[in-house]
Amino acid sequence: MLLRGYETTGPWGWLTLLLVACAAWASEITFELPDNAKQCFYEEIVQSTKCTLEFQVITGGHYDVDCQLEGPDGSVLYKEMKKQYDSFTFTASRNGTYKFCFSNEFSTFTHKTVYFDFQVGEDPPLFPSENRATALTQMESACVSINEALKSVIDYQTHFRLREAQGRSRAEDLNTKVAYWSIGEAIILLVVSIGQVFLLKSFFSDKRTTKTRVTS
Amino acid sequence: LALYFHIGEREEKCIIEDIPSDTLVVGNYKVQRWDIHKHGFLESAPGLGMFVTVTSPTGEVLLSKLYGPQGTFSFTSYVSGEHIICFQSNSTRFAVIAGSKLRIHLDIRVGEHFLDESAIQAKDKVNEVNVRLEHLIEQIHHVTREQDYEREREEKFRKTSEETNSNILWWAIVQTLILISVGIWQIKSLRDFFIAKKLV
Repeated sequence: MLLRGYETTGPWGWLTLLLVACAAWASEITFELPDNAKQCFYEEIVQSTKCTLEFQVITGGHYDVDCQLEGPDGSVLYKEMKKQYDSFTFTASRNGTYKFCFSNEFSTFTHKTVYFDFQVGEDPPLFPSENRATALTQMESACVSINEALKSVIDYQTHFRLREAQGRSRAEDLNTKVAYWSIGEAIILLVVSIGQVFLLKSFFSDKRTTKTRVTS
Repeated sequence: LALYFHIGEREEKCIIEDIPSDTLVVGNYKVQRWDIHKHGFLESAPGLGMFVTVTSPTGEVLLSKLYGPQGTFSFTSYVSGEHIICFQSNSTRFAVIAGSKLRIHLDIRVGEHFLDESAIQAKDKVNEVNVRLEHLIEQIHHVTREQDYEREREEKFRKTSEETNSNILWWAIVQTLILISVGIWQIKSLRDFFIAKKLV
């Protein structure tokens, strides 16, 4: 929350503002998922709250992970295998604990770094319209638009940071792969060529001994 | 403190925060232990604490403290990069009882400077506007710091890509030279061999 309401609405007004503000929050965590591991997160959600789960794989292997979201009764709300990035919005149909899991069980030796952002509820309006006597002043509406603009700036920055980290990870992988493959190929080339010559020479050496045996 | 996850009693769980320098990170956590008899998580387990360790990208330990079952920790980053925040319980129970696990509630906030609510409630409206604008300026400074960090990382990315490009070119040239020189050596060596063996 960048800005709160200007007007001093008294203690009850602030209390309602705080309560409304508490109904919305976002948790974002970047963690490492080892190979053959599954990590689950739980969140208690109130009925008819709009929630968004967004995840992205930053480093590791083919940059993909399995993701599954279950409701409190065990019903599968979202299930995708080997996804690199996805965003899923849903409205909680009932109260309870929702569980979402990331699984790297299909991978044998690459561990992945996964980022997820779980947003619960909508952000409350900056200037709640309950106790208002007049419409928003110019100052207040300027504040609202600055708030919206800055929220989208932060959102874009996060997405850009993640994509850049993923791109950089791929570039570093590529660099090491190119180095190893090139050295390997050069060695194989030398070994095979020199080996060919000596093998060929050895064929003709055998032939010579048989030839001398025949003549003598 | 809504989001939670489970770990084993002696397990260490780490999360990664990729942040620019001079950024304040505040974390709230709550840990509960699984009780076998009650088949539920205890509201509070006396004596249960958490070691919180924060490592900077250079390997330096910024924070390493033991907190109680519920706590708040914070640190400010000196260098930009991936900071690793690790949690481990101080449980000394050697016998790992089957089904024993811990539930950790976690909430991490990066770069947010909380409004001083008491200052907001001041009767002086001008002061209120002042405080809010200062908070806004601080937020914008955070955006600027993130952008500077992004520029650093993009430079590193570009260097890696250019290095890969020149590696590929250089190795291709080297391999072609090896191929040509070894081919010439092969033919020469065989020709000398055949001449020596009086087959040509």
